[in-house]
Amino acid sequence: MVTSQNDSLQRDTATVGMACLFILVAVVFLWDTTRMLDSDSYVFPRAVAIAMIILSLTLIVWNLVKPRLEVGATSTHASTIRRVALVATMLAGCLAMPWLGFLIPGIITFFILMFIAMYDEWSRKRKILYPLIAVVIVVGFYTLFGNILQVPLPVGTLFE
Amino acid sequence: MPGIEYLFAALTPLNILLALGGVIAGTVIGSLPGLTATMAVAVLVPITFSMEPTSALIMMGAIYTGAIYGGAYSAILLNTPGTPSAIATTFDGFPLAKKGQGDLAISIACIASVTGGLVGATFLLLLAPPLAEIALAFGPVEYFWLAIFGLTLISALSEGNLLKGLIGACFGLLLACVGIAEISADVRFIFGSQVLLGGIETVTALIGLYCIPVLIDLVATPDRHLKVDHKPRGFRFLEALAISWKAKFSLLRSSVIGTLVGILPGAGGSIAGLVAYTEARRTSKNSHNFGKGEPEGVLATESANNATVGGGFIPTLVLGIPGTPPDAVILGALLIQGIRTGPSLFTEKASIVFTFIYGLYLATFLMLPVGLVIGRYAYQTIITVPKALLVPTVAFMTMIGTYAIRNSISDVIIMIVLGVIGWILNRFGYSPSPIVLGLILGRIAEQGFVQAWTIGSATGELGKMFFGRPISLMIIAFILLSLFYPLIRSRFGRVKGEVSHGD
Repeated sequence: MVTSQNDSLQRDTATVGMACLFILVAVVFLWDTTRMLDSDSYVFPRAVAIAMIILSLTLIVWNLVKPRLEVGATSTHASTIRRVALVATMLAGCLAMPWLGFLIPGIITFFILMFIAMYDEWSRKRKILYPLIAVVIVVGFYTLFGNILQVPLPVGTLFE
Repeated sequence: MPGIEYLFAALTPLNILLALGGVIAGTVIGSLPGLTATMAVAVLVPITFSMEPTSALIMMGAIYTGAIYGGAYSAILLNTPGTPSAIATTFDGFPLAKKGQGDLAISIACIASVTGGLVGATFLLLLAPPLAEIALAFGPVEYFWLAIFGLTLISALSEGNLLKGLIGACFGLLLACVGIAEISADVRFIFGSQVLLGGIETVTALIGLYCIPVLIDLVATPDRHLKVDHKPRGFRFLEALAISWKAKFSLLRSSVIGTLVGILPGAGGSIAGLVAYTEARRTSKNSHNFGKGEPEGVLATESANNATVGGGFIPTLVLGIPGTPPDAVILGALLIQGIRTGPSLFTEKASIVFTFIYGLYLATFLMLPVGLVIGRYAYQTIITVPKALLVPTVAFMTMIGTYAIRNSISDVIIMIVLGVIGWILNRFGYSPSPIVLGLILGRIAEQGFVQAWTIGSATGELGKMFFGRPISLMIIAFILLSLFYPLIRSRFGRVKGEVSHGD
């Protein structure tokens, strides 16, 4: 019973906390409009930011008046490390692209993500097949976008 | 039927081949996250420059039709709308796929898209000139209110909390203000960062907010992405047809809604899908099941967004005002072909216009076999590909697809960061849909708001400008209805209950 009450309290605090964060975002946007001289630039964002503050305050009041337990999408056996690794790998791949071009960081990112998402055993067949498939997919998309759709993919300053 | 003699002109082997090729290319491009219908048409339009005007138009119409339908694949199988038009398709499409009914959802989406496409083409054929007048009746205020209507609709659809949906919509509207202002060209809200100077592209946000959270959750557990039924079940076409027949009125209503919304320049398939979805949920016997995997939800959104193709061509051809962004590309291609759009087009260039409209019918019919076959293949691929290959493939597709929008690495970084923000917000009950729609409609809303504000301030009738026009008042009434409908319904339900108890 005590656990349930604590959980409810925690959830409500989170909702209030998120609403406060949205108020902060709105205030930052409002503050940025103060340096604008043309009313065409600030009239709309100001109206939206004020609406966001009012709605967030209403949410806070609503939560204090009618607190309720909200069930989030939680999974007990989910791996946080893999989640962080996925985002970090994708970001690192992007940041490397201006220097190394699209292809090499693309293949490296693909390989690392393959390891992060792998839950089965690395059998001999998989060890040979998966890297081959990875190269085919990356090179295939690279050719499709770069050569057929004529998207100017970065070559990389190191290779220019 | 007007111009029936041009039907045979549309049915030449070359036109059939071009329509088939266009539908296939459009469907494949539309299914890739990041490549929208606009991009599909824009990328392939140079091919049509050397063609006869009618053949070129037929091919462009086929690419457009196919791309709008293709957006449903990733919406259903990856919870990521391939195009903004497919946002509402994720609401029931992905839950259906999660239940192991992804193949059925794809067949339903195909039938709905064909129906919507046919209804849109019929309106274009029979009622184009009078319907084009609707587009002219909408001024800046009406567009502002229409954008707000779209946002309230999606907020009301946000499961559990209307307030959170509205806050998300405001957040999306603020994100749409980042970068260079539409009207004054002022640099806003970049906080000293060069990355934000170009603003936040809507498709970038769409991929980030929908696709990255799916990847983050996919990688965290060894569970399969979708439930797999090992029994081969074919296309499940008859089953899908039976479901569609059962919801035939909803299907037709959604198609008409899609056509009418498509006529309004700038409104596009995303609003059409949402309005049709809300209306289907309001009137359905299974309204409680919407959002949990209700086939009627997929039927409503997919028929509406494909109906916008025909609807969007109405102002494009009659007034020369593109109804949707892909129409703008097609309009440009028409000018290159030496065709001047306008009210006289239907009389002076009847052979081109009517052959094109019948070509649109042809492309829509061809979408049925093409859509079923490609859809089946896409479904099989998603359910059989191991997670170790699915995650990096989707991640790489999001990266290259986002880059291709504006050839910018900054966009890819913004996409990933927005994805992480979307994942966090999702855990606190903030759905990505209002944020994305806020971004999509932000520019329309701001333009309408600022123009109305300027006119109202100059004439000293600000209140009258916003609240004194009949169409505006009608849209405001719809906004209030969408916001307070659950309250009104529960109140009426309670009164009804008390009356029956009293009896």
